[in-house]
Amino acid sequence: MTTHTDTSAAAPGEVDVVTRAPRRRVAVDKIAGLGLIVAMLAFSVHALSRLDFSWSSMRSSMDTAVTTFSRMDPISLPPAGDLVYLIGLTVGIVVLGTAMAAVISVPVAWICAANTSPSPWLRWVGRAIGVITRAVPDVVLAMAFAMAFVLGSALPGIFALGIHSIGMISKLFADAIEQSDDGPRQAVRAAGGSRAQEFWAATFPQVLPSWIATVLHRFDINLRGSAILGYAGVGGLGYAMRVAFQQFPEGYGRGLGIAIVIFVLCVVLEIVSSTIRRHLLGTDPAGRGLGGRIVRVATGDRPARPAGGRLTAFVQRLGRRPSSADGPVGTNRTAPGFVRRLLPRHRDAEVSVEAMLHRPWTGSRVRNLVWVWTAVALVVASFWWADVNASQITWDYVLPTVQSFWPPSYGSHSFGEFAQAMLITVEVAFAAAGLSLVFSVVFGALAARNVAPTPGVRQFFRVVLVVFRGVPELVLAIFLIMITGLGNQAGVIALAFGGVGLLGKLVADSFEEVPRGLERAVTATGATRTQRFFSSTWPVGFPALVSNSLYLVDTNIRAATILGIVGGGGVGFYITQASTVMSLHGQVTTLVIMIFVTVLLVEAISTWLRRVFR
Amino acid sequence: MNSTTTTPVVSVTEVTKCFGSVRALHDVSMTVNSGEVVVLLGLSGSGKSTLLRHLNGLERPTCGAVDVLGQTVPKLRPTALRALRCRVAMIFQQFELVPSLTVLENVLTGALGRLRGPRLGLWAYPKALRVDALRRLERVGLLDKAYQRADELSGGQQQRVAIARALMQNPQVLLADEPVASLDPESATQVMDLVREIAAADGLTVVCSLHQVDIALGWADRIVGLRRGEVVMDTKAANLDKAQVMQVYRDLAPGPDVDLDAELVSAGLVSAGYSVSGPA
Ligand SMILES: Nc1ncnc2c1ncn2[C@@H]1O[C@H](COP(=O)(O)OP(=O)(O)O)[C@@H](O)[C@H]1O
Ligand SMILES: [Mg+2]
Repeated sequence: MTTHTDTSAAAPGEVDVVTRAPRRRVAVDKIAGLGLIVAMLAFSVHALSRLDFSWSSMRSSMDTAVTTFSRMDPISLPPAGDLVYLIGLTVGIVVLGTAMAAVISVPVAWICAANTSPSPWLRWVGRAIGVITRAVPDVVLAMAFAMAFVLGSALPGIFALGIHSIGMISKLFADAIEQSDDGPRQAVRAAGGSRAQEFWAATFPQVLPSWIATVLHRFDINLRGSAILGYAGVGGLGYAMRVAFQQFPEGYGRGLGIAIVIFVLCVVLEIVSSTIRRHLLGTDPAGRGLGGRIVRVATGDRPARPAGGRLTAFVQRLGRRPSSADGPVGTNRTAPGFVRRLLPRHRDAEVSVEAMLHRPWTGSRVRNLVWVWTAVALVVASFWWADVNASQITWDYVLPTVQSFWPPSYGSHSFGEFAQAMLITVEVAFAAAGLSLVFSVVFGALAARNVAPTPGVRQFFRVVLVVFRGVPELVLAIFLIMITGLGNQAGVIALAFGGVGLLGKLVADSFEEVPRGLERAVTATGATRTQRFFSSTWPVGFPALVSNSLYLVDTNIRAATILGIVGGGGVGFYITQASTVMSLHGQVTTLVIMIFVTVLLVEAISTWLRRVFR
Repeated sequence: MNSTTTTPVVSVTEVTKCFGSVRALHDVSMTVNSGEVVVLLGLSGSGKSTLLRHLNGLERPTCGAVDVLGQTVPKLRPTALRALRCRVAMIFQQFELVPSLTVLENVLTGALGRLRGPRLGLWAYPKALRVDALRRLERVGLLDKAYQRADELSGGQQQRVAIARALMQNPQVLLADEPVASLDPESATQVMDLVREIAAADGLTVVCSLHQVDIALGWADRIVGLRRGEVVMDTKAANLDKAQVMQVYRDLAPGPDVDLDAELVSAGLVSAGYSVSGPA
């Protein structure tokens, strides 16, 4: 601006240009959008101060932690036999829950996807199923279902994971179906196939890889969150950890030991699932975590695209069409046209129909069969290990349990109380997201190829982000709450910790997606590194940063709810109280609706901001 | 199944089809007799695909009647429509195979109309059908490719797999929507020859859309010309040469601002430099 006036003052003829130039339009929506962003940032700061992150409170919690550490018994593990049983139980519950959701998600996605749905109203039913199952935290479901099952059964946990996971799997699966090629479906229809035949013959084979990838991804997420199911009485590592942490000081060493086991287990199984994705699907591991990274390092490979785009790219790769000029038509490619036409069509006389009736045992066939049977064996083993059967269902209580959630109610509480609790949860979410944002922008930028000063720096910060991401945040929250005696503050730190891993990775990816040519052009004008960042990288990456931050707020709101269950405040506290007693289930519905509306609001803001800053 | 039968297999009467404000077909009438090989010729957007899709009920006419194999297609209930589609096979410009499935599984999908319930995987089909499918593959010369993924094949091979899939239906009518538009000239010749050969051997009635005059002339029994959704020509191919086809399109006197030659050249109807009034 100042340079402009300077030049016009220096050269009077240019005043003319300024008057002739079109007036800059005042972009009201941009200003409003910026205002909203500033307001949300201010709210984060306000939330951080409200949650008493003052120096004195930090000092006193540090003191508590020091005292705890000095008085607690040394870190220990359960006996080997018990440990193996607990690991098997936790993994088994997660396998069965995820498998259940994977199966249910197929028809749900089928009715959700625009191109396969039998009718528009069924699409709405499907969407509602997805949205509702995603809105209710799995641990709440596990608590609420407890009555319908025999005490000590793993079924509440399995059903909780199985139902809660439907939302995400069916959403991603429906997206994949919508991106699949419509042609083969039409071909089956033209051959007289029914709707179901269309789906299984033409659509499902196209989307199978993305379905497997989504399910494995969800398996990782469920495993990370499974510790919390212990608070609903579901057996496994989480329950053992909870029991251990209930005894001070003699249980703390054991609790910490189990927390470490959970962390290691998460990383190990992420390696396994990434390896499967790589071998079975021939795709890069999509995991953002340590496991995926290790696989990539081990196989000397770097992901070409960010995780979100990779699945899409993969689906597209499967659906690609051959070009007219790709390759030989037959074995007689070099023969002139007329010669070829004279050749008999049955030139492969040595191959007979009888001989071809048996599919040859090629490497890929053996491999696929091994994977399928491994998966089946895993599910069967999980059944056996988790020791579940239908007799554990108390049928008399199933219907009443389902009915007890309607109508929604406030019980002995008031709307004001619930709203107050919701506000606290939202504050926790924003406070954690705010902390994450500050660190993510720094770490993420330094982890981006085009911003980091040297490849070494980039590599270092990529690893830092992986470590942050690798820690299951809820286990960290439990640990911090136990050690510091703080509630929501500890939760905020734990959520912020995990958030840096997630958001930092997304920031780095979005910066790396800035077209290279653009940056080169700016560099070519003689701009410095910093100028380049602020004039090309930042403006292009900004919209993604906004929507990714709000995505973090969304996941934080859901996670902050769960914090209430492990000793934080907010809606989670009320949900915990209400979900264990059947007559109070109406309150759970009310609270879930409130969470849901809040999350929708955040999503709406995100959508609007994305449009404004496109 | 012989050429003396003259009962029309396909009869389209005064069909008009509108997609919103776009009129894709306008008052189209034509008949196809048993065993006849008919080409629908026209520029891109002239309504060839839409007309073909009416013949197996993938589209319903806005008004007019479509009768195929003695059935009134738009009036059929879902089960009856599926039964009709079993007898009317279709192949497509983009082949429309499932890329991740084996060639044999793709061929087997042609039998779905005869089966009840969804199928996934080779073993979901009875052995007799698998043998059948292999025979069809042998017929198109791709038996040795039975267990390869469909997307590992070249374009011409994929179209032959699609033909095998169509044959799996034991059809009486074969609809082909620009079957060679995505192929190189050599593969195109091979595919067109194969269709002709199979049509002759099985006594199939074929309705095939094309936009290349050259291919159509040497191949069809009869050519039906479409232009902007209207039938502008319906002649035995034997009586035709290229200049006549061009004349028909020219006589329709487009607005003075339309350069027909350029339009036809760009659509591949004629080679560049060709002019109806004589060699350039
Ligand atoms: N499903 C559809 N929705 C809307 N318009 C369509 C649809 N199918 C075809 N059309 C229109 O109908 C006209 C004829 O299309 P089409 O039959 O595909 O022509 P051709 O196959 O000869 O290229 C075109 O203008 C096209 O845009
Ligand atoms: Mg077409």
